[in-house]
Amino acid sequence: MSEGSQLDFFTLLGLEKSYDIDQAALTASYRQLQRSAHPDRFAGGDERQRLLAVQKSAQINEAYETLRSATRRAAYMLKLAGHAVDTSATTFQDPEFLMQQMQLREELSDLHSAEDPEQALDRFYADVDNALRSQRQAFQGFYELGDYDAAKSSYAKLQFLEKLRYEAEQKEGELLDF
Amino acid sequence: MALMQISEPGQSPEPHQRKLAVGIDLGTTNSLVATFRNGSLQVLADEQGRALLPSVVHYADSGNVVVGDEAQSFAAEDPSNTLASVKRLMGRSYADVSATEQLSTYELIDTEGMVSLNTRAGVRSPVQVSAEILRALAERAQQSLGGELQGAVITVPAYFDDGQRQATKDAAKLAGLNVLRLLNEPTAAAVAYGLDEKEEGAIAVFDLGGGTFDISVLQMSKGVFEVLSTGGDSALGGDDFDQVIAAWAMEQAGESNLDARQRRQLLDACRAAKECLTSAETAELRVAEQTLSLAREQFNALVDPLIDRAIRACKRALRDAKLSSDDILNVVMVGGSTRVPRVRERVAQWFGREPLVDLDPDKVVALGAASQADQLVGNRSGDETLLLDVIPLSLGIETMGGLTEKVIHRNTTIPVAMAQEFTTFKDGQTAMAIHVVQGERELVDDCRSLARFELGGIPPMVAGAARILVTFQVDADGLLQVSAREETTGVESQIQVKPSYGLSDTDIADMLTASFDAAGEDKEARALREQQVEAEALLQSLSAALLADGEALLSEEEQRELLAKMEQLHNEKASGSAASIARQIEIVGAASETFAERRMDASIKKALAGRRVDEL
Repeated sequence: MSEGSQLDFFTLLGLEKSYDIDQAALTASYRQLQRSAHPDRFAGGDERQRLLAVQKSAQINEAYETLRSATRRAAYMLKLAGHAVDTSATTFQDPEFLMQQMQLREELSDLHSAEDPEQALDRFYADVDNALRSQRQAFQGFYELGDYDAAKSSYAKLQFLEKLRYEAEQKEGELLDF
Repeated sequence: MALMQISEPGQSPEPHQRKLAVGIDLGTTNSLVATFRNGSLQVLADEQGRALLPSVVHYADSGNVVVGDEAQSFAAEDPSNTLASVKRLMGRSYADVSATEQLSTYELIDTEGMVSLNTRAGVRSPVQVSAEILRALAERAQQSLGGELQGAVITVPAYFDDGQRQATKDAAKLAGLNVLRLLNEPTAAAVAYGLDEKEEGAIAVFDLGGGTFDISVLQMSKGVFEVLSTGGDSALGGDDFDQVIAAWAMEQAGESNLDARQRRQLLDACRAAKECLTSAETAELRVAEQTLSLAREQFNALVDPLIDRAIRACKRALRDAKLSSDDILNVVMVGGSTRVPRVRERVAQWFGREPLVDLDPDKVVALGAASQADQLVGNRSGDETLLLDVIPLSLGIETMGGLTEKVIHRNTTIPVAMAQEFTTFKDGQTAMAIHVVQGERELVDDCRSLARFELGGIPPMVAGAARILVTFQVDADGLLQVSAREETTGVESQIQVKPSYGLSDTDIADMLTASFDAAGEDKEARALREQQVEAEALLQSLSAALLADGEALLSEEEQRELLAKMEQLHNEKASGSAASIARQIEIVGAASETFAERRMDASIKKALAGRRVDEL
């Protein structure tokens, strides 16, 4: 967990440092790494070796989970660039995004009364996923240009959209009687 | 000089000797032990040929402790000293279980932390009772395999929280077993079916036992089993099937008042009818003075609402895994209640494929655990299966106002480590307490309390100046460890753990002493033997490591130093006391730390290099 002495997650997983990553390559090297570092490999070893393996394996898991998620990857890359984000204090000056948020929120709260909630839910997911996709592209563009303030703002928007998606998933449970 | 001998080039110690390792399914009702021998996975039976050991312990008048069928036979005659189903009490408080265990025949005691049982042999913890069961299984295995066990894999339900897992591991320790891994039951079942290397895709493990339902979604890829999600219903099982039949029967018979004994008889009759309907189309059962006939169709209608609950849990687990039922390649059936044809039918219907039922659903978990034990102990070489489990419940800490802040979310792959920063709120504050809970709810009171960690030794500073980094680490067994360090001074905090429903280290030590006394064993002798075994294991693994990577990763000077300390350990092992061997183990361990780290990094680099070659 202590930074500095350790490899960054991209290097650890043998990937180019880029927002646009090859998910299949990520998963393949993740599994390969766990094969060599997982504590099960040292079940017969001494205590210290097992502890070391637990730490290493946890680090590999963290790297994988971070890079696998487009939103967490964005936050991590900002941190690598020396622009760590403070998630608690974000306000938006972007009317277009606020409008989109309001529309999506409305869509979410109307799901209950939709004629076919399942279909409405699918449509909602599609809308959120579209918004996520374009926000990811925006993030990548700003990041590559070195416009970290804009990239941070894109990241905050990604978080908002992810939160909406999470809320929809919760709602899906209630709606479809899981 | 033996050092020279074990450093012989290209030789691992005793290459042809298979190590004895077992898989143990420590069940609520029955327990089993299995192993891999003569090329196949086998459940080990006792001398009478019985595979299932009833999870029952009897404390006899004579002071003897009997386990299994023999213990069961005292159930009627001496119920208060015949303990069954203690798995339900593991890591649980009196308040947790007093409502559900009202019908238990033995006396529960409201002890601080974990509930205890009052027996004629004295007050016993569920951990000690479970240890008796494990000891009986270990003895059976040692007799059957003809040697000392090197290690065991013990299975636990996927939904077991930290306290329940720790209690299981403590029981194994009391029984003198070396636990290679606590393995989730569904994962073990998938391993037993050998759903590895050849297949790629998702599998669901549907485990319907007597009292609990458990669904797990696993992903397999090139020998890696990854648990994507787990879910279930801890109050749904075959017993509920019996209950709905009983309710139906009482209504049919116009009966409403049965005493406890009549009710027990009725439930037994219902169970018999249920089992009969596995092959027959109708079954008869008696209520009070009447005989009723239950058709399979009627039975199906009665249990359908229960199966609906299981299917709903399946939906949730698939959603958590971000999969649909079409993505599932195989469905593995575990637990006696999956023998019910209606269950199989509904499962087949919902998943759109016939479930796997070839292995005995009562034995499949033990068989899988045996397979994993064989691998972990080092009996297999080459491409091995790697099991990546997830944490079943979120870990959080108590914050202001009794709220929970999640530190590690459920279904996160383990091992995992998360760091959280805290500060002091008073000038000169040198200690603080952290309350760790497990569960999904927002209020601390709605979650399960795991432990309170008291951090001490914080350097005195003004309020808010200290930065205490607390690391929560969950190992491959799903067990939590906490460490803390003050960041500005680098001072490690001392941590005292108060497990909420577990046993403290001193409790365990006392119980160990008590068990030695009971067994008439010489504590000193046992401690010495244990240290000797550990020293030997350390020397062997280090020698092998030095042989493989010593020259590449260590300077000549470093090698010389390490070898000198190993030589001392070797001498200490031959003639020292338990304490002096332990000290030297510590010294050698510390001296080899850098080497171990370099080896780990080198093997990771190699793993990545290997992958790139594969891709070309």
